[in-house]
Amino acid sequence: MTKRIIDHPILGKLDDTDIISFTFNNKEYRGLKNESLAAALLANGVRTLRSHEESGAPRGIYCNIGHCFECRVTVDGQQGVRACLTPIKENMVVTSNEKLLTTVRDWRPENE
Amino acid sequence: MIICRCEEVTYKQLTETAEKYKCASRELKLRTRAGMGYCGGRTCRTMVDNIAHSFNGNERDCAQLTLKYQPPIRPISFGDLGDVKK
Amino acid sequence: MSKVIIIGAGPAGLSAAITIAENGLEVLVLDEYMIAGGRLLGQLYEEPNGNWWNGIKESKQLYEKALDLGVKIQLHTAVSNLEKIDSSWVIYTATETYYTSHLLLATGATEAPLPIPGWTLPGVMSVGAAQVMTNVHRVKPGNRGVIIGVNVLSSAIAMELQLAGVQVACITLPKMSLVTKESGNPMNVMNSLLHVSHMAPSAFVKFGSKLMKIEFMKKMGITFFPKNGVKMWDIPIMLRKAVIEIYGDNEVEGVTMATISPTGEVIPGTEEKVQADFVCIAGGLYPLAELAAVAGCPFYHIEELGGYVPLHNERMETALEGLYVAGNITGIEGAKVAASQGVAAGLSIVHNNGTSNQEQNIKKAIQDIEHTRDNAFIQFHPAVKEGKQKLQHYWEEHLNTVKDMVGN
Repeated sequence: MTKRIIDHPILGKLDDTDIISFTFNNKEYRGLKNESLAAALLANGVRTLRSHEESGAPRGIYCNIGHCFECRVTVDGQQGVRACLTPIKENMVVTSNEKLLTTVRDWRPENE
Repeated sequence: MIICRCEEVTYKQLTETAEKYKCASRELKLRTRAGMGYCGGRTCRTMVDNIAHSFNGNERDCAQLTLKYQPPIRPISFGDLGDVKK
Repeated sequence: MSKVIIIGAGPAGLSAAITIAENGLEVLVLDEYMIAGGRLLGQLYEEPNGNWWNGIKESKQLYEKALDLGVKIQLHTAVSNLEKIDSSWVIYTATETYYTSHLLLATGATEAPLPIPGWTLPGVMSVGAAQVMTNVHRVKPGNRGVIIGVNVLSSAIAMELQLAGVQVACITLPKMSLVTKESGNPMNVMNSLLHVSHMAPSAFVKFGSKLMKIEFMKKMGITFFPKNGVKMWDIPIMLRKAVIEIYGDNEVEGVTMATISPTGEVIPGTEEKVQADFVCIAGGLYPLAELAAVAGCPFYHIEELGGYVPLHNERMETALEGLYVAGNITGIEGAKVAASQGVAAGLSIVHNNGTSNQEQNIKKAIQDIEHTRDNAFIQFHPAVKEGKQKLQHYWEEHLNTVKDMVGN
């Protein structure tokens, strides 16, 4: 079932004909040319975009307009790219940032 | 409950610190790292401010900015910063 | 080197760019998003005259008009820092440095969060995020959502979600904490809604008037507010319930709600689970003024304007020479007010640059802002005018301080 809003009572019909493919964590997905990476992944049912560096907790889009950096992914080798404001391109290679192998020392008082 | 999503600083850590030190927002930030992560505090700054103000009467009356903004306001790679051409 | 630089391609930035270009100056607009329009892009509502305000269409018109006038609009460009060197403003992006003697900050607003246990789970997003996903990208944020935070913005977006075929299970309050404060207190929320319904923009007429008709409700406050909410466009608005947790293994599966007292205390034993595959957090908007802060502008906290705003006058000039502000960076208001502020800022820049005398036009533009404000369909804060007066007072204080310093 598509998650796209093809027909909208006010905004009209969505042109969903220009389809391209890209990969996210080595899996191939299809999206609409020039839509944001976050939108393309959500349309494919993908909500988790990265894991927190320290705790490994899953994270997805939060603000969707570039303020929060929660949706940052690696695009064609470049780290820290915001999925919410990056248009997808044909054959784009996207990967998640995973939990770091060595966590930083926990400095919080209760762990001293 | 997490307040600062980037650094995973919790409500408990923030309220306990604010209660113990009765400190300004800026000190609360420095003591807990809330607001010092990837997004530069854009998401949690109002909450850190609110928690600090709840325990610290002086700052609440102050109309002026209590939590400083510092450049760069968007993350920038050392390569770009140093103008290193690929 | 471009003469004038504008940061932010929303209604304020684009309107300023158009005004400046019409007066023959070169303009460069920078914006970090992939489409021009800013927060205007997501807006979609029916005006009292029956016309639909379509943010995408409005944005496109502004964008194309600016391009036709020769304005350069550079998207995908985030500004990371700015400073004044000699008489030039220096603007830093990841890859380039720009210089200008007239810089307009039109960076808009950002959303304040309401923290709830579990709010970092994928599927939890700001209400503005859901709006952009739905109206701009045309992807459903989910099939069934819960909106946390009852205010003008969340109600408007709930209606937009419904319009696009996305089910909204309810709009409700966050559990009260030191952070959520007013947003978690049913009495406060109801009072703020009554303020809005009193102004009666059509979006609120049904909901607001229902409450207003029941006179005793105002006296008794929220005590008798129906536990299952009052419906607006078939969406239950629940002022006597709060979300105490968002649950799910790796993404949102639902929320735990509880009944709360009129002052926001959770009533034990009333917890219930509500299934949802997405959750929106609606803490309201506040001015995004980080660049003004970095530049060294004085700031004042003005509740009626949504938070800290950089000191500026009616001509949209800040206390720093060559630095201007327009739009939501000056206080949270609708897109039409933002656009009219952009025009005023643009005229001030043309005037101060010495290109042409704009004194009369600036006066008229200032009146236009007032007029637009008075006729605004959606007002985010009922006392926005008082907020503006406070700011004007701070500005006069500032002028006197400057005079004293010069006098000494």
